[in-house]
Amino acid sequence: MFNIHYRLERYSIRFAIGVLIVASIGGFVEIAPLFTIDETVESAPDMRVYTPLELAGRNIYIREGCYACHSQMIRTLRDEVERYGPYSLAAESQYDHPMLWGSKRTGPDLARIGGKYSDDWHVAHLNNPRDVVPPSVMPSYRWLGETELSRQDLVLDLKALQRLGVPYSEEMVTNATADAYGQAMPDSDEAEGVAERYGDATHIRDFDGNRQKVTELDALIAYLQILGRLTDAAYQNPALQKLGGPK
Amino acid sequence: MMVSQLTVGERQLALVLLILMAVWGLVMTLAGADGLFQAQGTLIFLYSLGGIFLVLSGYFLPPPAANREDRYYDDPTKAGIILAMIWALIAMFVGDWVAWLLAYPEMTFDAAWASFGRLRPVHTTGIIFGFGGNALIAASLHVVQRTSRARLPDQLSPWFVLFGYNLFCLLAVSGYLIGITQSKEYAEPEWYADIWLVVVWVTYFILYLRVLARRKEPHIYVANWYFMAFILVVAVLHIVNNLALPIAFNHVKSYSAFSGVQDAMTQWWYGHNAVAFFLTAGFLGMLYYFLPKRAERPIYSYRMSIIGFWGITFFYMWAGSHHLHYTALPTWVQTLGMTFSAMLLVPSWIAAGNALMTLNGAWHRVRDDATLRFMMVAAVFYGLSTFEGSFMAIRPVNALSHYTDWTIGHVHAGALGWVALITFGTIYSLVPWLWKKERMYSPKLVEVHFWLALAGVLIYVFAMWNSGIIQGLMWRTYDDAGTLAYSFVESMEAMHPYYIARAIGGLLFLIGTAVGSYNIWRTIRMPESAGVVETPVPEPAARPVLRSGE
Amino acid sequence: MTIEHEILVIAAKSYGLFYLIGLSVIVLAYTFWPSNKKPFERAAKSIMEDEDRPWQ
Repeated sequence: MFNIHYRLERYSIRFAIGVLIVASIGGFVEIAPLFTIDETVESAPDMRVYTPLELAGRNIYIREGCYACHSQMIRTLRDEVERYGPYSLAAESQYDHPMLWGSKRTGPDLARIGGKYSDDWHVAHLNNPRDVVPPSVMPSYRWLGETELSRQDLVLDLKALQRLGVPYSEEMVTNATADAYGQAMPDSDEAEGVAERYGDATHIRDFDGNRQKVTELDALIAYLQILGRLTDAAYQNPALQKLGGPK
Repeated sequence: MMVSQLTVGERQLALVLLILMAVWGLVMTLAGADGLFQAQGTLIFLYSLGGIFLVLSGYFLPPPAANREDRYYDDPTKAGIILAMIWALIAMFVGDWVAWLLAYPEMTFDAAWASFGRLRPVHTTGIIFGFGGNALIAASLHVVQRTSRARLPDQLSPWFVLFGYNLFCLLAVSGYLIGITQSKEYAEPEWYADIWLVVVWVTYFILYLRVLARRKEPHIYVANWYFMAFILVVAVLHIVNNLALPIAFNHVKSYSAFSGVQDAMTQWWYGHNAVAFFLTAGFLGMLYYFLPKRAERPIYSYRMSIIGFWGITFFYMWAGSHHLHYTALPTWVQTLGMTFSAMLLVPSWIAAGNALMTLNGAWHRVRDDATLRFMMVAAVFYGLSTFEGSFMAIRPVNALSHYTDWTIGHVHAGALGWVALITFGTIYSLVPWLWKKERMYSPKLVEVHFWLALAGVLIYVFAMWNSGIIQGLMWRTYDDAGTLAYSFVESMEAMHPYYIARAIGGLLFLIGTAVGSYNIWRTIRMPESAGVVETPVPEPAARPVLRSGE
Repeated sequence: MTIEHEILVIAAKSYGLFYLIGLSVIVLAYTFWPSNKKPFERAAKSIMEDEDRPWQ
C-alpha cells in the first residue's frame, strides 16, 4: 500500500510540516543568495548616509503614504532612462530601511527628483500641486509648512539604523537633534557641524522659506532634494544613461 | 448569547485575558513616548474594557448545557460573518472614496487623515484583513467542524481569535489615519500590532489543529488543506517580512531589518504570497466546500484538487520576484519568478476548471440560484485573473504593465471578482444554515446584489485595463525626432475619464454590498422557520450584543 | 564571499530543479495511486452527507 500521504494527513501536524517545507523552499532559494551577495550591491564608496533632517523627511514621506503613488526605481528601459535619468542601482537604496521602490506611478518616479526643481517650486507644489501643475491629482499638503518638525526622537532613529548596519558614526548619532536643526537654519551655530559630519556638499539651507522654525516641510524637501544624489555611482558610468530599449 | 455559551472556567479565563490586555493597553498609554503610541494604547485599553463589560454582563448566566457537545459551535462563525460585512462596507466605502479623490483631488479638506496616502491603506487593510480575514476565519471554523464531524474543542479560543484579530485590524486602520505605518505594502501595521497578530494567529493555528485532532472522520477533507496552508504560510510570511527594530519600546516607529534590494525581495515575496495564501488558498478552501454543497454535487475531481493544492503551495513561493522586473534585482531571480509565474497557470486553472466542471449538470441551478451564480462567476474570475497574472509576469509585458493602472485592474479582478464574489456566495449559503432560516429574507435582493456586483467589477476592470494600457503606451511612445512624445502630465490627464468610470464601478459594487448587508440583517431578524431546526439552546434575549461589532 | 555566493546560486538553481521534478512525481504518484481512488471518492462525497451535528 502506497499510503504515505494518507497516513501523513491523518496526522495533521506532520501534514502542516510538509506544507511548510514545500512552501518555504521557493522563498529560500530566491532570497537566500541575496543575503550573501556582494555583487547585488555595487560598491559606491562615495555614498553618504541620510542626514537627520533628510531621514525625518523620509519618515514623513512614509507617514503620508507617498510611496503609494510614486515609485523610486527607474527600470532598465530606454524610455525610463530618458524620462527619469540613469537607471537605479541596488547600491543607491542600500541604506534604505525599508526600501521605497514602490509599485505604482500615479505620479512620476522620484528616484532622481533631487535637484530637478528648486526649493520654491517644491514649497508651492506641496502647498497646492495644482498651482504649478494644473492637472495634478496629488493632495495638497499645506499643513506640513505649519507643523514644527519633531526632532527629539532623531537620536533614537539614527541609533536604530546604526544597529541595523547603516554607517552612522557615534558623533552623528549624538548630534542628530542639533544637526536636524542646523541643516535648515544655515545661520545658526548648529549648521557648521552638519557639513563637518556629512560633507561639504550637504544642502544646508532654509528649504521652506520660513526662517522662524524648522518645519516638516523643511524635512520633506530636504529629503526630496537628495533623492538620487547620495552617490554619483549612477552618473559616473555613461553606459547607464543610454539603453537599447526593451527587447 | 456569546457569554452564555462559555463555561464558568472559560468566563474566568476570558476575564483574566481581557484584564491582561487592558493592562497592556494601559501600559502603552502611560509609558508611551508620543501621542501616537498613547492613542494606540488607549484603543487597546478601551477595546479590552468593552470585552470585560461584555463578559461581566453575562457572568452570572447559567452555565451552558452539558449536552453542548452534541452540536457544532457556530456562534463565532456568525459573529465573523457580521464582522466581515461591517468591514466590507467600511473598506469598500473608503476604497470608492479614494477612487473619487483621484478624479477630484480637492476633497481632502486640508486634513492630513483625509489624504489619499493615508486612506489607501485603510482600504487595502480593511478589505484584505477586515473583510477577507473575518470571512476566512468564519468559514474555516464552519468547515473544519463539519468535515471533521467534531465540535470546536473549547468555547473561548475561537472568540479570542476573532476579537483579537479584529483588534489588530482596528489598530492598523486607526494607526494609518494618525500617521502610523511602516510603509510595507499590505503589511503596514507597526511592530506592536504585528506581534499581537502573531499571538492571535498561533492561537488560530492551534485551535485548527485541535479540531483536526478530535476528528471522527479519518480523512481530512481537501478544503482543510487549503485553510491549513493559509494559516501556516501566512504566519511565516508575516513574521519574516515584519522583522524590524523599534527605535524604543515605547515608540510606534520601527525600522525594517532589511534594506534596499533584500528588503524589496522580502517585501514582494510577502506581497505575492499574501495573494497566494491569504487571497487564494484560503478562498479556495471556501470554494471546495461551499460550491459542492450549494450545487449539491460532489467536487468534479478530488484528485485534481490535490494536484492543484501542491502545485499552488509549491509554485507560488517562487513567483514574487515578478514584481521587480527590470529593477536592481539580479536578473536570474527575475527569470525564476517569471518562469514559475507561467507554471502557476497549471494549478490555478486546475482549480478553476474543477469548480466549473462540478457545476456540469447543475447549470439550471446556476441559472435560478444567484448564490450559486456568485460562486460560479467567482471561479471564472479566478481563472481569468490567474491567466492575466501569469501573462503580466512575462518580462516584456511587465515592462508595459508595471507601475500602471493595469496592475490595479488585475488586483481588482482578483479581489472583487474572485475573493468578494466567492465570499458573498459563501455568506449567502451560510446565513440561512446557521441562523436556521429556510432561505434568505429576499432572494430577489440577492439577485440585485449579484448584478450590481458583476456590473461593478466589469466597469472597474475595463476602466483600469484601458487606463493602464494607455498610460503604459504613452510613457514609451517616441515621436519622429526620437524623443519621448508625451510628458508625464499628459499621461495623467488622459486618465481622468477612466478614473471617473472606475469610481462609478466601485460605487455599484459598494451599493451591492449594502444591499447584501441589508438582506443579511433582515434574514437574521426573520422568525426561525419551523422544520429546518434542531431546537437551539434557549437563549436569553441578548442577541443584539453580537452586532456591536467589537 | 563571492565563492560562497556562487555556490549558493548554483545549488539553488540545480537543487531547485530536482526538487521540482521530484515533488511533481511524488504528488502525481500519490494522486493516481490506484488504492487511493476509493478514499478520495469517499471524501468527495462525505461532505454531501447530512451534517446536523458532530459524530459522537
